[in-house]
Amino acid sequence: MLKVENLVTRFGSVVALDDVSMTAQESKITTVIGANGAGKSTLLRTISGLEHPAAGSITWKGQSILGKRPEEIVRLGIAHVPEGHAVISELSVEENISMGSLFRRKKYKSDVTAAMDEMYALFPRLKERRKQLAGTLSGGERQMLAISRALVSRPQLLLLDEPSLGLAPLVVEQIIDSVNTLCRTTGLSVLLVEQNANTALGVADHGVLLALGKVVADRPASELKADATLRAAYLGY
Amino acid sequence: MNTFLAALSSGTSRGAIFALVALGLVIVWRGAGIVNFAQMGQAMFSTYIASTLITNGNSYWIAFFVALISGAVLGALLDILVMRPLSNKKQSELLSSESMRAAVPVIASLGILGVLQALAGIIWAAEERGFPAPAKQEGFTVAGNVLPFTSFDLFVVSIVTVTLIITTLFFTKTGIGLAMRATALNQEVAKLSGIRTNRTRTISWAISGAASSLAGLLITPTSNLSPNSLDLVLIVGFTAAVVGGLDSPAGAVLGGFILGMVISFVTFYSTPEDVFLAILAVLLIVLIIRPRGILGSKDARRV
Repeated sequence: MLKVENLVTRFGSVVALDDVSMTAQESKITTVIGANGAGKSTLLRTISGLEHPAAGSITWKGQSILGKRPEEIVRLGIAHVPEGHAVISELSVEENISMGSLFRRKKYKSDVTAAMDEMYALFPRLKERRKQLAGTLSGGERQMLAISRALVSRPQLLLLDEPSLGLAPLVVEQIIDSVNTLCRTTGLSVLLVEQNANTALGVADHGVLLALGKVVADRPASELKADATLRAAYLGY
Repeated sequence: MNTFLAALSSGTSRGAIFALVALGLVIVWRGAGIVNFAQMGQAMFSTYIASTLITNGNSYWIAFFVALISGAVLGALLDILVMRPLSNKKQSELLSSESMRAAVPVIASLGILGVLQALAGIIWAAEERGFPAPAKQEGFTVAGNVLPFTSFDLFVVSIVTVTLIITTLFFTKTGIGLAMRATALNQEVAKLSGIRTNRTRTISWAISGAASSLAGLLITPTSNLSPNSLDLVLIVGFTAAVVGGLDSPAGAVLGGFILGMVISFVTFYSTPEDVFLAILAVLLIVLIIRPRGILGSKDARRV
């Protein structure tokens, strides 16, 4: 569905992605794991158009999306939840969610309301707080909000960057569970970036291990999880 | 008593105009995240266009609407021709730091102001000219007494009130308004939400351009028109925006009326020379007690 080939992304003289090739399969959870600085976030940011690659190709449903702006890529069905609970604190919960479906409001008017109601059903705490400013939410609620903002754009592929960052294990579990359920019931494809490899490999179908910008393993998640040598060498546990 | 009424009415109508200028600044601040010092240059330019149309025999109202439209077009052009290329130059050394990225567009807006004033000087010559008012500038008469409040004052106050209501509704109730606020607050998240941020910013510039042209049209009947005649209005309007809260349309209007009153009462009860001292005093008091402005929100960024 999404195919990345020989991708190179640089920041000045630093090579963040070095000849990365991988795919995200339809209706599956693919996880990209690796230590801090492995290039996981850069991979997602390059796919969603926030960073410009120096070389390589990104193909989405058979068409190249290389060089497209982020606001166009989301319209093609790839929604990105960047690292760090990316919501706009000065806007209300409701405004943050509806922001994600602004571009659909004319063509799919009734579905926009339906999509928002689905988010409130998925994360009832957001409904209770819908008039509150996003800045007043807890970390977990903010992550739920960021995911909701992405989901109301009705994506076929969700790029999820470190949803566990700074959250309590229980909250992480709840969020990962929701995403997992969505994938299994609606056929949403997910590309999940995680530093917490155990959590990620627990729900994912497929795993890609990145180290210093290079792919060192690309296998079914269960195999990766069982490989003690790889874990010890690259994830340190 | 008569002095008091005169000061009150002059403060009301001046305040309304400063409110409009502040509103224009707030719109670009909220929509594009920068303070646009070229704003009254744009207003001066479109008022000159209106003045030329009237001189050539067109009616006031045709000139009025042409000026509003040309204000909007000029605003949009400045964004497309100057601001957008600047913000796309992220790779350049000069724009590599966050603070420079915030400062450069503001400096560019000062440059635009200079260019617009020079151009107006070249096209229309630099001498002052008058500009007509659409309503009588004589006071209302009640029971034989002439009040210091004129029909033009009433016109100004009502137009500003309507503009404020429309802008507030636009920002809070419409999709474009939400897109504009999102773009100003966090461009990355806005883009990832599918908002076409370049287009959104241009719309902010156009609306602000129209609002400030309106201010230009309303103030020149009492202040005359020259390439530099609106500089002072900008300074007071900017102060009003800061006093009221740079991110709040209602705050801009409140700030505008506060400064209008202060200026008017100081002029009537003291001397016009003290006006600047009074403006500075108001600014200092607000910045010390409530740095975000009277109605500004807590998270508003600093200029």
